[in-house]
Amino acid sequence: MSGRRVGAITKRILQQFRRDHRTLGLLFGAPLVILALLGYLLRGGGDVPRMGVVNLDGGPLGGIVASTLKSSKTVSASSLAQADAEGKLRSGDIAGYVLLPSDFSAKAQQSRLIAPEIHLEGSQPGLSQSILQAVSQSFVGLAGQSGAIQFAARVTFLYGGPSFDTLDYFGAAFIGLVVFFLVFVITAVAFLRERGQGTLERLMASPLRRAEIVLGYMLGFTVLALVQSAEVLAFSLLVLHVHNVGNVALIFLLEALMAIAAVNLGIFLSMFARTEFQAVQFIPLVIVPQLLLAGIIFPISTEPGPLQALSRVLQLTYAVEGLRNIMIKGADLSWSSLQLDLGVVLAFCVLVILAGATTLRRRIA
Amino acid sequence: MAPDTYAVEVEGIAKRFGKQPALDGVSVRIRRGEVYGLLGPNGAGKTTLIRSLVGLVAPEKGTVTVLGRRMPQLPVLARVGYMTQQAALYPDISAEENVRFFGAIHGRENGVREALEFVDLWDRRKSVVSTLSGGMRTRCSLACALVHKPDLLLLDEPTVGVDPQLRVQLWDGFRKMAAGGTSIVVSSHVMDEAERCDRLGLIRFGKLLAEGTVAEIKTRAGVDRLEDAFLKLSEVSES
Repeated sequence: MSGRRVGAITKRILQQFRRDHRTLGLLFGAPLVILALLGYLLRGGGDVPRMGVVNLDGGPLGGIVASTLKSSKTVSASSLAQADAEGKLRSGDIAGYVLLPSDFSAKAQQSRLIAPEIHLEGSQPGLSQSILQAVSQSFVGLAGQSGAIQFAARVTFLYGGPSFDTLDYFGAAFIGLVVFFLVFVITAVAFLRERGQGTLERLMASPLRRAEIVLGYMLGFTVLALVQSAEVLAFSLLVLHVHNVGNVALIFLLEALMAIAAVNLGIFLSMFARTEFQAVQFIPLVIVPQLLLAGIIFPISTEPGPLQALSRVLQLTYAVEGLRNIMIKGADLSWSSLQLDLGVVLAFCVLVILAGATTLRRRIA
Repeated sequence: MAPDTYAVEVEGIAKRFGKQPALDGVSVRIRRGEVYGLLGPNGAGKTTLIRSLVGLVAPEKGTVTVLGRRMPQLPVLARVGYMTQQAALYPDISAEENVRFFGAIHGRENGVREALEFVDLWDRRKSVVSTLSGGMRTRCSLACALVHKPDLLLLDEPTVGVDPQLRVQLWDGFRKMAAGGTSIVVSSHVMDEAERCDRLGLIRFGKLLAEGTVAEIKTRAGVDRLEDAFLKLSEVSES
């Protein structure tokens, strides 16, 4: 082992990076950006889950529970009429509500039974959990007043159900996500290889039109992406048994749109990279922030305000929401929320196709 | 001569990369069925001139006319074959699949066998390109450039890495194509190849120093060897 020879390699690597400003920026900038984003997301004082309290109790205990909930810091509770609460639950304005029946105080005092109804929207396990916790905590005060008590809440779910778990929640999003990111990376690298091996120069010196190149690429990779989408979907539904109450064809349609968008995003972004190495760098730059902000892990309604606005301009947010709408809520094309989701994903597709085709022209001419 | 007897007409084109002039007022006319050699050292502007013929370089000044069409223009490229300096091929598919692809994008798919036989690769047609030797790749690249039987064939240093025996064979092929009416532009810095061209253009520092048949150039420089003529004419232009 020669120290000088090893040193030569070390020195050469540092020399290479000194000239590659983009890689340096990524190396030292990206971690701070990603960590700052994560920090802001988790500590930025985002909204807590919104819930309703429907107090029909004739006795005094309902009022105590309601005011305890309303002063809770882990949920934002407000008093609602039952019909109003049900409506807001369906529209997604609240993640759940607790209903204190007219005999709530009576039952608690006579049979030492606390029997509220808890109605959950259910599509986001994290929010449901927060509400259940806040509600059970609000009864702790009652236990002190009336001695040992049995807690027998009746919990209903609008979507999902008691067996709905974290995989069901993430699964719906990941079906689209896996396809989107893999297809994006593979297309970007393939397109850069075309540039690196000189064949793009040849294509440009042929009668091929730019649009023909983009379309040919799109179709080729779309074939691969569709097979992959079908595989991912089948595995998720048949092997993992991810919760699905929606139309499989609709899921596939949304997945296919995401795949087509990914192909064209790959072509478009590969114009901004000179090497395959630089293309891979788009992963932390483009993919990670989207992963954090698209509502996949953290529900958008609980993000800090400015980040919510940012999330609302990302197409991935709508894609993820669309998949969850279909799979968890059983949405079909008549739902306006799904129409919006599909519309945004479709518009994004068209946008990146155009962007890919025009950038290709500009870089070559 | 009527203008359409020229395969290529370049009128005073100039192109800079940054501050470095790559082409500085070059005018060239290449006749139909002519083999025209572009001679010059590395970085003289040969490749830039060839790229400007297929519209890959947009000149800042001057005009380029190819097969009677003002460039840039796409349809005329179906009649042009371009072999890049680097063997630009898809490494993961076979030689035959590469040739068929380039034929197809130029609108012709039935010349594959002929093209592969021309470069003596028909026996290796099933080989994946990444398993071919450097010389074989160059030949495959050449096959890709002429599979569609172009009227104008642009060859950027086509015989680098090709053994002498096959080089002679390829040049016989080029001469045959030229006799059939194909115009060929070859860049090279190999002098014995230059001797086989109908006319030569000497390029240096982006300028055309001299042009003519091999004999004319030798006479003009007053020397017997083309290499000496090139060196001498370069000196003259510098002083």
